[in-house]
Amino acid sequence: MATTTRTALSRGALALYGMAAVTLAATASSAFFLWARHASPGLAVAAALPPSLVLGVIALASRFLCNALPLRSASRSSIVIGHAGSAAAASGLWVLTWKSWVPTLNSQMSAHLDPDYSLLFGLGVMLYVAAVAVHYLVLEIEALREAEDEVLRYRVLAREAELRAFKAQVDPHFLFNSLNAVASMCGSRPLEAREMAQRLADFFRLILRLGALERITLAEEIDLVQRYLAIEKVRFGDRLTTHIDVDEGAARCMVPPLLLQPLVENAVRHGVASMVEGGTIDITATLEDHMLRIVVDNPADPDRTDARGEGIGIENARGRLSAVSEGRAMLQAAEAEGQFRVVIELPR
Amino acid sequence: MIRTVIVDDELPARELLREFLSADEDCEIVAECANGFEAVKAVAHHDPDLLLLDIQMPKLDGFEVLELLDRSPIVVFVTAHDEHALRAFEVHALDYLLKPLSHERFQQVMERVKRAAGHDRQPVAGLATSLRAKPLQRIVVRGEDGAIQVVPVSRLDYIEAADDAILLATSGTKLRKQQPLSEIATQLDPDRFVRIHRAYVINIERIEKIELYAKDSRVAILRDGTRLPVSRSGYQRLKELL
Repeated sequence: MATTTRTALSRGALALYGMAAVTLAATASSAFFLWARHASPGLAVAAALPPSLVLGVIALASRFLCNALPLRSASRSSIVIGHAGSAAAASGLWVLTWKSWVPTLNSQMSAHLDPDYSLLFGLGVMLYVAAVAVHYLVLEIEALREAEDEVLRYRVLAREAELRAFKAQVDPHFLFNSLNAVASMCGSRPLEAREMAQRLADFFRLILRLGALERITLAEEIDLVQRYLAIEKVRFGDRLTTHIDVDEGAARCMVPPLLLQPLVENAVRHGVASMVEGGTIDITATLEDHMLRIVVDNPADPDRTDARGEGIGIENARGRLSAVSEGRAMLQAAEAEGQFRVVIELPR
Repeated sequence: MIRTVIVDDELPARELLREFLSADEDCEIVAECANGFEAVKAVAHHDPDLLLLDIQMPKLDGFEVLELLDRSPIVVFVTAHDEHALRAFEVHALDYLLKPLSHERFQQVMERVKRAAGHDRQPVAGLATSLRAKPLQRIVVRGEDGAIQVVPVSRLDYIEAADDAILLATSGTKLRKQQPLSEIATQLDPDRFVRIHRAYVINIERIEKIELYAKDSRVAILRDGTRLPVSRSGYQRLKELL
């Protein structure tokens, strides 16, 4: 709220200053031409002021045209044609004002002013173009400031998302269930129990280590996901199969840590676990045209209850992703015909 | 002998229960089930004394299994979720075990089971329904042939009272379930299901229009053309919602 009023105020002031500057410049330069043609300085200024005021207003109004023809998106030809046309019209109006104003002045002040209208026309065009240039400059500065604000906002979002993600990273029930599996194997398969305990410890150490980093390679994230899935396979047995396909370029890409892990956890908890027969979690990552694309695919029972948890996981991932990529990345989640699919696109 | 059925969708969890139970001379495992459907069948077939029941399972969760049982074994929930464990008592489960399982706690619970065995028990079915998570997301129905159907409430068009049972109408077909309409009406999402008549609860998303039929009596016309009577008080409830 505060920032909008601030810019609105300075924008209004800026407009007034701009108008005054154009009027002043037009008055000074055209008065100089009159004086050069033997008019007294006072008369020259008095003659030049009213038409210059008109030009000042027109130059101010050209801001609307600049807004309509933004440098970044409008085509170059439409910018040139648009402003050339309006420059000619503005300057024509300015000369017309001169032509209707000078005779009245001549008769009232019994003076003899004889301005060079073609010269004035050229001057009008130049001043108009200068005003347009200034408008574009101001617009660019504003855009830059907005972009900076945006970056700042994303940084705040990133911090918040990181905090949330850290809290929600691993479902505690995953730990309880895995420990139950360890307890179960202690009696009959002690070696496997020991191995499972080791895997759990390694997984949690890795979570802590990677979670503390700003960025990691996708290969590291996939390694974490694979460790997680290996533990879940002990619990789910044949019900959980996985297929992971990451191309070489994609593996080297940098991603925020623990981006995929919660999504894969979702795929197990709300996907494969909801199916009596289980299913396959399919993870593919490709790098094409500087765009990293990651797809997580899993079957899910459309009639499963309690779909709330998964929404939160996906929202968290989306928040983190847009925070680290400053809004350029995309995360889509869709469910159709018993398949749940999350697609991430992250520009490299 | 305590004849026991183990239900858990994870093999290691079943193995652990099996190990604990085999150490107890008074217990005998009559069936091991990996999902709710198998559990309902096994209970019908074996009429066990004890059901060790996981809660989070695919298709049918532990609470839904209880609702479908026509016998009343002693029920002990086995879960990693403490929040479910609290609800276990509400459905008259005898006790609950938290994962990872402690052998000591298991033995304590088995002592309770042995004391309770042989005594008359309250039937668990029915009670389970009334205390399930609200609003209801799925309705489980057991057909006369024993086949189990799970109906997500989003697929319901309307529910019709038929004597002491209800008919669940979903795109043309009607499933019969032994339950009073007044009971299920209180379990459904009140923003989506309205009792428009003594004998009808309607899914408001299916309503095409409401027409005046006679003085003070209206009729609801559904998207598929079905016409259902709307009582005066039913119309009041509808108006408040729409």
